Amino acid sequence: MKTWLCCCGAHWTSSGVMSEDANPAATPSPCQDIQGDGRWMSLHNRFVSDSKGKEPDVLFVGDSLVQLLHEFEVWRKLFSPLHALNFGVGGDATQHVLWRLVNGELDHISPKVVVLWVGTNNHGHTPEQICGGIMAIINVIHQKLPHAHTLVLGLLPRGKSPNPLRERNASVNALVQAEVASLSHVSFLDMDPGFILSDGSIAHQDMYDYLHLTPQAYQKVCQPLHERIKSLLDKHAP
Amino acid sequence: MSAEENPAAEPAPVIDVQGDGRWMSQHNRFVQECKDAEPDVLFVGDSMVQLMQQYEVWRELFSPLHALNFGVGGDTTCNVLWRLQNGELDNIRPRVVVLWVGTNNHEHTADQVAGGILAIVQLLLSRLPKCKIIVLGLLPRGEFPNPLREKNAAVNNLLRTSLPQLGPVQLIDVGGGFVHSDGTISSRDMFDFLHLTASAYRTISTSLHELLLQLLEETPQERRASLV
Repeated sequence: MKTWLCCCGAHWTSSGVMSEDANPAATPSPCQDIQGDGRWMSLHNRFVSDSKGKEPDVLFVGDSLVQLLHEFEVWRKLFSPLHALNFGVGGDATQHVLWRLVNGELDHISPKVVVLWVGTNNHGHTPEQICGGIMAIINVIHQKLPHAHTLVLGLLPRGKSPNPLRERNASVNALVQAEVASLSHVSFLDMDPGFILSDGSIAHQDMYDYLHLTPQAYQKVCQPLHERIKSLLDKHAP
Repeated sequence: MSAEENPAAEPAPVIDVQGDGRWMSQHNRFVQECKDAEPDVLFVGDSMVQLMQQYEVWRELFSPLHALNFGVGGDTTCNVLWRLQNGELDNIRPRVVVLWVGTNNHEHTADQVAGGILAIVQLLLSRLPKCKIIVLGLLPRGEFPNPLREKNAAVNNLLRTSLPQLGPVQLIDVGGGFVHSDGTISSRDMFDFLHLTASAYRTISTSLHELLLQLLEETPQERRASLV
């Protein structure tokens, strides 16, 4: 089978299917229930059934940074009024989000905007692989929702002090930003309002565990996000 | 069960496999807080403790009690034990410690987890002789009945009788009411069938807060002495 090599290291067949052995970050994979309470599948099933009952204009999908957003006041104030659904799952890497979207979470809904925030949990993957994973997700969204606009959010820095994951996340952002520049149905938003202080540290007032955002940090990042979503919705209006 | 027999009672730091040293950063921050703060109440445990501080209820009910929050997501009894032995109890004399840990001890049996919690309580009593301890029971988890619910309930049962034997220690089970008659847990209470929503934290905090007020009031003589 002929495959094309994309600059992110992803292999594509002529039918647009990702070649499975090429990039683990782009191979749809459910989360294995190691702990024994089936929570990941419960969440997925709930999202699938949510997608049958609701008509969101905006769909948020991704990892814990998406999931936790739903639990704070900022969601009710800024995103509920936009008729948004939240399909975030803590711990998810790109291959998990890919599996969820391929297996029902996009069926039955036609949001105008899909907000995608994932990649920081792709441990062991290179920036190129993570970018490939994000592009694979963007591709699936476009296949299933041809009229939707995907807004990809940049990965945030993490860790109290400079470390390899900050560099990895910054590289992913640069790669993704370049990849989507030529796509009219995708745009990229840098979500970092300047979390890294002059001494290179991140404050626990912004990230209580140097990864997850406090409510006050969510306020900081969500204002521009809210504006961008609103302008995308306005453009989408008939 | 001694530490040699019980892996859940062996102190152990979290190894940084991800590469950004976050666990140690949090530990170091807590050690520093011990140098600066004079808490009357210390909360210590896993993400159930840590997340509480991000909700309004913390500011409303627990900050006013001069409470510190030393919760770290993912922590097992081993990790909490290590943190408390390595600086997180230095220079502070809280009058009440609230301990909530055990749900992440996936490698251990209910007996071992209970033993790990007992080991932490014994450490607290030895380091803080005048302290009272509240141990919060492990909550049920998962959308449907599953082995972890049974395990967590078994841990609570083991602790119920053994904790008070150690001293001014009590088990408070705040999990009642989360499991509905059909056996399910609602995502309105646990957004991922493990972690609590703001409204669920509010529900469990009311009785915890009342108990804390009681315990803090119980030693008026010590309080007068500390004000002199």
